[in-house]
Amino acid sequence: MLLIAAKVIRKTIPVFSFVFLVLITVVIIQGLFKPENETALFQIGPVVMYKEGLLYALMITLRVTNIVSSFMILVLTTKPSDLVETLVRKGMSPRIGYVIVSVFQIIPEMISSMGTIMDAQRARGMETEGNLFVRTKAFLPLLGPVILGSLINTKERAMALEVRGFNSSAPKTYLNEEKTYNHSRVIQSVMLLLVVCAVTWRIFV
Amino acid sequence: MNKIIVQGLKYKYPLSDMLALDDISFQVNEGEFIGIIGKNSSGKSTLCQALVGLVPHFYKGAYGGKVLVAGLEVKNHSLADISLKVGMVFQNPFTQVTGSKMTVYEEIAFGLENIGVPRKEMIDRIDDVLTLLKIEHVKDHNPFDLSGGQMQRMAIASIIAMKPDILVLDEPTSQLDPAGSEEVFNAIQSLSKQGITVILAEHKMEKVAQYCDRVLLLNDGRVVDVATPEIIFSRDDLETYGVLAPVYTRVCRALGVKKDGSDCYPVTLEAAERVLRKGVPLV
Amino acid sequence: MIKVSNLSFSYKKGGAPVLAGINLEFDQRSTAIIGQNGAGKTTFVKLLKGLLKPDNGDILIHNVNVKMKTTAAEMAGTIGLVFQNPNDQIFKRTVLEEVMFGPLNINMGKIIAERQAIQALKMVELDDKLEMNPHDLSLSEKKLLCIASVVAMDTDIIILDEPTIAQDIHGKEKIREIIQALKDKHKLVMTIIHDMDFVAENFERTIVFNEGKVLLDGDTRYVFSQKDILREAKVEAPGITQLAEKLGFKQTILTVEEFIQMK
Repeated sequence: MLLIAAKVIRKTIPVFSFVFLVLITVVIIQGLFKPENETALFQIGPVVMYKEGLLYALMITLRVTNIVSSFMILVLTTKPSDLVETLVRKGMSPRIGYVIVSVFQIIPEMISSMGTIMDAQRARGMETEGNLFVRTKAFLPLLGPVILGSLINTKERAMALEVRGFNSSAPKTYLNEEKTYNHSRVIQSVMLLLVVCAVTWRIFV
Repeated sequence: MNKIIVQGLKYKYPLSDMLALDDISFQVNEGEFIGIIGKNSSGKSTLCQALVGLVPHFYKGAYGGKVLVAGLEVKNHSLADISLKVGMVFQNPFTQVTGSKMTVYEEIAFGLENIGVPRKEMIDRIDDVLTLLKIEHVKDHNPFDLSGGQMQRMAIASIIAMKPDILVLDEPTSQLDPAGSEEVFNAIQSLSKQGITVILAEHKMEKVAQYCDRVLLLNDGRVVDVATPEIIFSRDDLETYGVLAPVYTRVCRALGVKKDGSDCYPVTLEAAERVLRKGVPLV
Repeated sequence: MIKVSNLSFSYKKGGAPVLAGINLEFDQRSTAIIGQNGAGKTTFVKLLKGLLKPDNGDILIHNVNVKMKTTAAEMAGTIGLVFQNPNDQIFKRTVLEEVMFGPLNINMGKIIAERQAIQALKMVELDDKLEMNPHDLSLSEKKLLCIASVVAMDTDIIILDEPTIAQDIHGKEKIREIIQALKDKHKLVMTIIHDMDFVAENFERTIVFNEGKVLLDGDTRYVFSQKDILREAKVEAPGITQLAEKLGFKQTILTVEEFIQMK
């Protein structure tokens, strides 16, 4: 429901189709083979579906769907940079924040440099196409230049950050305004209350 | 007024037994445009980094002598303090992108957020530098999607937004194509005209001759000479330091045509044209 | 040696073409490829080398269609390519091993490979550093090492991507000598380059790329005389050529020596 409200339901379709594929096998296996299976529900030829297994599988399905949905909402509606910026405002170290956000951007850059390095070796006659063995053999020696290259880049980037006052002791300011909505306090409190209730219920009941 | 004072600066990298900088002394006036030239590993980059404090604060190593930039003694101040007075732009445009920002606009804000500039002023400053470096049309692009020339101008913009008194550039165009270099040089020149003190380490002698007020010639970590481009490029021993004078100077030297009323050869296209028109009858 | 017909390429299927309708023939004349970044120069040499596959058109090298060879590795014995950034290429522990890597890959025997490697290292004056770790060399030495490691493969065609970046006069002089030595051996030397003075002094033929097309092609002297077309490709003629032109020389001048002779 929330997924629909956030207009990201379409992007979740591929993820859900994969998840459901896995879940269907869970349903079948649990329905057929769960050790506590007693009550036969229905029978297709020699195959018997049992009630206990099916209920258990249903529970797993609900849980997984729940977890996946909430995770998708977080990922699809929140830019990582916004999330981290908010955390930094709430007191997380800006250094850790930087590391988290930059990883998202630096990884694509590393992948492209990997491509160049691969090309450079192919240019000198290294066989990189073919069966798995050939490819693995070609891949391992390439890690050296990739790692070295990113180390060199890291040193240069560290210097570039330093000269832009990364370690300044001045209180940090932000380009983006903190977005506060009238209802956000209320929502936050209600959410907190719900979590507390749920936890208490799990522990005591 | 002296903006930069370097006195007897000596420096040795950790793990090295040679002095990278050996007894360097010079002074730079406010608003001057200084070129640093010399062959590979003559100490150009190290000297640039000594002006912003990366030497010695980033590398450690053995350090002697004194470097004063805009009144701050580098040795006794943190990199963050110095970064308010001196900005530095590096060779490789890619490694200067922080990688933590999604747009050019936010990228330029990075330094300002760190030093705690209030939001309103931040926006004013960013808008100013976007116009100044002619990159306002890409302000919402991802930094990694820019061309080399645009990326390097963004790096300069990020530094200039912090309003330093001094701008240090270490071969900022070595990885750019001719059009990209031209964009960057035009940008640097317009900053220089606005009164910022500029220090530029550079291989392209034609550019040094065209833009710099004075040139500092380095060799094996020592200062050979600090003088106007005409004097430096007219030196007879220039090639022994691994430096080739601009092509205009070489031609005039070969033809023995000096600039009127001076003992120097011309160093720019325009100056060479002028003296050659007068000096030798045309073919 | 190479015949390219109606070549086109784009990185994404149906995306904007990076190269379109390229027709070129290469003989033994040393050739410089110039033009802005993004004009398609690097893509073009990657296609020649078989690192990329064309969308359309054919590339014949020694009358063999590149398409017929299945992998870039099979092309390695015919055509060598030196990448711009040496750190992308170097991965062995010693200078000698690094240079021997290519020759061994194309099935030269170990003894011949070593001889080739040492010969190539002599050309770049690194033969006294055979046992050094390549990463302890300076950047300009690393670039020379990468050139040597391709030269050692003794291919008929050698392509250099931006060889003069990060070189001072001494390094440039060495690259000049290498190109001359390769020319003397009747190899086709091709380079992508932004340094116009170096082009004027060393290359017989120049091709200007612009927006995925060949804008201008011919003897270097002819190319640098076409001021207006060069401006369109955002390329500047060498300084000495510009000076001669301003002074009203009738001929296009390429080097300081020529200029002095004309005076």
